[in-house]
Order: sequence, then structure tokens, then C-alpha cells
Amino acid sequence: MQQEDLDWRARFEALLDAAVDAIVVIDEAGRIQSFSRAAERIFGYSQSEVVGEPIEILMPSPYREEHAGYLTSYLTGAPPKIIGIGREVVGQRKDGSTFPLHLSVGEVSSSGKRSFVGILRDVSNQKKMEQEQLQLHEEAQLNRERLAHAGRLQILGEMAAGIAHEINQPLSAISTYAQAAGRLLQSGESETGEQLEILEKIAVQAQRAGEVIRRMRALAAEGETSRQIVDINDVVGEVLELAEIDARAHEYILKADLAPSLPAILADRIQIQQVVLNLVHNAIEAMLDGDGAGDVILIRSGPDDEGRVEVCVIDQGVGLAKEDEDRVFDPFFSTKQSGLGIGLSISQSIIQAHGGEMGFRRNQGPGMTFFFNLPTAEESTVGAS
Amino acid sequence: MEPPEPTVFIVDDDEAVRDSLEILCRSVGLKGETYASATAYLEAHDPDRAGCLVLDIRMPGMSGLQLQKRLEELGSPPPIIFITGHGDVPMAVGAIQRGAVDFIQKPFRDQDLLDRNQQALELDVERRRELHKRRELERRLERLTAREREVLDLVVAGNPNKVVAGELGLSQRTVEIHRSHVMEKMEVESLAELVRLVT
Repeated sequence: MQQEDLDWRARFEALLDAAVDAIVVIDEAGRIQSFSRAAERIFGYSQSEVVGEPIEILMPSPYREEHAGYLTSYLTGAPPKIIGIGREVVGQRKDGSTFPLHLSVGEVSSSGKRSFVGILRDVSNQKKMEQEQLQLHEEAQLNRERLAHAGRLQILGEMAAGIAHEINQPLSAISTYAQAAGRLLQSGESETGEQLEILEKIAVQAQRAGEVIRRMRALAAEGETSRQIVDINDVVGEVLELAEIDARAHEYILKADLAPSLPAILADRIQIQQVVLNLVHNAIEAMLDGDGAGDVILIRSGPDDEGRVEVCVIDQGVGLAKEDEDRVFDPFFSTKQSGLGIGLSISQSIIQAHGGEMGFRRNQGPGMTFFFNLPTAEESTVGAS
Repeated sequence: MEPPEPTVFIVDDDEAVRDSLEILCRSVGLKGETYASATAYLEAHDPDRAGCLVLDIRMPGMSGLQLQKRLEELGSPPPIIFITGHGDVPMAVGAIQRGAVDFIQKPFRDQDLLDRNQQALELDVERRRELHKRRELERRLERLTAREREVLDLVVAGNPNKVVAGELGLSQRTVEIHRSHVMEKMEVESLAELVRLVT
């Protein structure tokens, strides 16, 4: 060989050896022609052990069986599955262990002979990090759900007196109906028709109490998040009764003004209901502190300027102090002596996890408007990856 | 005077509670009338109707305690039994001090409510009797002239005619005439009756 050729050869080998990534060259038949130092390191074979061997020895099944097929089909004119593209594959070391690799393949033609050069990177570490990230992400999700659940229990606790009252009403009616029916039966002064009516009324009241319990249970449930395509008015409607209980317990009136035909949203029902209840409860607290300017709390739904679905809770209470404005969503910030202050921060985190925003505005009259918006179902699914 | 049939006025914002109380009243032969709010009752309130009030404390708008105050201001408070689902004990004390018959928590035993109800209705009858007596007295007193009034006051205080004459600067004969007019106008037959009427 000429000196120049020797130089080039030496240079070429030095290049291969210097590369951090493994470089393997195979011929048309798929036999290994060249095996760089990095390749020796990651596969555990020495060059002399693999030169002349089919490349498939570096692959575990089923890649091993597939590869021969790829090569043949490529050589006979099929479009490249990997040439110039690069993808993740699995390699097998000399000791039989497998590991993830990133592979990119190029084609070389020289002196009429075709060879393929593959550049391989061991991505085990990367893969491990990706796994860990996924796990952390899942844990964070779980923690968020636990926190949201704690928030719901908190709301139920705050509403306990109101709920007890709401169950007490039908209970009291049942008690009175039953005793009245007993007297009527004894005095013989009523007919079957009326007695049946009273029994029916008792059943209705029992259902009514049962309904309050059912709604409480739904709120207290520690369920897995399930985001579904829902109508915000349905979601709000379902929680109106519980919200009304809270308002009535403090002698306030809850009104709802829900715009018809709003676009559907992708959301977790229970979590959104939790946010609504939290806002209503805060409205009630604000009004208790106020000077009695009014006794109406309004829930309104409608589109916002950007086509998102917005829900507002408007109160006639004392209003937020200027100096508290920046901290109102902070965890553990509360204007109440007995308040834990986690409600709003949990609510905000729920809304943000849904891709929405939460905020407040001052009313022209007394009180505040707290609102949140949510992207439409279309927006949500397009944005999801 | 035949006492009119008393009515139990039921005021509670909960429909089922109202309805069940009305049926309870019927089951013991009482007439119950229901109102969904304190203001609705006020609008229909007629002081001449005999009866008592079964009243919820917490209602949207005017509360039960506010209604109690309002009725007192109007000068014609029927006896009130408060029922409540809230367990407001401090409110209870206030309500009773202001003259409520009792304060019962829901759910209650029907007998308890009916007993209190009976008490309240009897109280109402008593009150009306008193009221009627007073009105009658006023009506009769208005018939008297100023002079006759003076004579009445002195006579009822136990003064004999002679002393009355002296006090008023009249002759005994004049006093006797005034006295007989007073008896007639006040529709009494004896001094004893007169004294009983006026005190």
C-alpha cells in the first residue's frame, strides 16, 4: 500500500477510536467489517471477536430476526426504514444483557461495494432519567389529587352545620308526618287516600335527605381524576344544591345565571365542583364580614373574550383589602381567624392543571367577583400530546 | 262573647315542614294556616283573629325573631312558639325573654309541640279576654263627662259622698246625682261592681 493510503488508513482508525459513540461498519451481506473502540466498550466484544460475524449477533430477538429482512428489502429497492432517519433500538452485549441504543445508519459506496455505517449511542442513562421523570410526574399528580381531596374534606367540614340543618328539615317533616298520620289513624278521621298521601310525602322527604347525603359523598370521595367532556352548566347545576345549603345556612340567597349553549369542556367534574363550592363559601364569608349591603350571591357562566368558558361567583361582601390582593392565592393565607387558607390555592392549582386561569375583579358596587376560565374541549384535546 | 275558632299560624320557609305541621294540627282538630315567609304572614296579619304562631327562626329575608319584634311594635303579638333546625340556644333565651311561649328544636315529638300549642292558645284566649275587658272599660269611660270622671275617681278611692262634695266644691246632692249617672253609664249596679270594673 502507498504511504498516503497508510496515512489515511491510520487516520481513519484513529477517528473511529476517538469517537465517543460506537461506530460499526457492515457490508452488503450484513457482516461486521469494522468495530470501533467505543463499540468494544459498550458491547463487551473485542474487534477480533466480531469482525466477519453477522451484525445480528449484537441484537436480541425479535430485532435479530427482523434485521436480515430489512437489509434484504432495502437492497432490493425498498424505501429505507432507518437510513438517514435514526431511531431507538435494543442491543445485546456479549454477556447477554440488553440495553437501549440510539442508532443512526448511513450508506457508503466505494469501489463498487456498498457498506453501511452505524453510529450507536448507549442511552441507558437517558432512559433511566426519563423513567424517573415520569415517576416524579406521576407522584406529583397523586399529591395534587390528595391535596384536592383534602380541600374537599375541608369544604365539607365548613359546611357541616349547613348540611346538618338541611338533613334535619326533611327529618323533622318525616317525624311530624308520621306522628300526625298515627293520630289520624287512631281518631279514625281520615281516609285511606289521605293516609297514602302522607306515606308518600314521608318517602319523598327521605329521598330528599338521601340526596343531600349522596352529594356529600360524591364530594368526599377520593376518586381517581377522571377528565371527561362535560357541559359546565351541568357540572355547576349538580353542585348548586350543596352550595345553596351553605348560603341558606347563613340566610343568603344563591342565584344562578347560566348562559345556554356553552362549548363543552374537558374536565374533572368533582374537582370543578370543589372549586365552585370553595368560591361560594368564600363569598359567604365575605358577606358575613360586610355591612349587609345585600344578601345575594350570583353564579354566572358564559363565554369570555377569548372563547373560553368562564364561571364567576359574585358577592356583595366586604371586598378584598388592597394589601391582600397579591397574596390571596397563596397557600395558608387567610383573612379569617379560623381559616386554614388552603381553599383558594388548591382551587387555583386545580384550574391551572386544567389549563385555565383563576382571578378576581372588584365589582362596581360592593363586593368582589372571583372567576375562573377553562379551555374548550376542542382546545384541550388539540393541545394534548 | 263566643270565642272564635282559633287558628295555628305556621310560618316556615321549608315546604315539607309547613305541610306536615298543618296535617298535625288537623289530626287534633285544630285549624292550621301556613305561610312561607315572615313577610307573607305580616301582610295577612289580622290582630282580631284568635290563635298562636308556630314560627321558624332562620328564614331568608325577615327572620322569626325580627317578626316577633315587629308584631310587638304593632301592639298585637300573638303567643309564639319558635321551632328551629339550628340549635340556636343563645337566641332561645332572647326569644323567651321577649315573651315567646317556648323554643323547640327540630325534629320534635309531636306531643311536645301540641302541648305548647295548647298552652299558647289558652294564653291567647286569656289575652283577648283582657283586651276585650279593657276596651269595654274605655268605651264606657268615654261616656262620662269630665265632672263625672272626677266623681268616679274619688268614689272608687273609697271616699264617702260628703268628702267628695268637699273635694270638688259641690253640694252633696249634686254629688249624688253625678254618682247615679256614673253608675248608669258604667252599667254597674253597685259600688263593688264599679270598683271591680275599674281596677
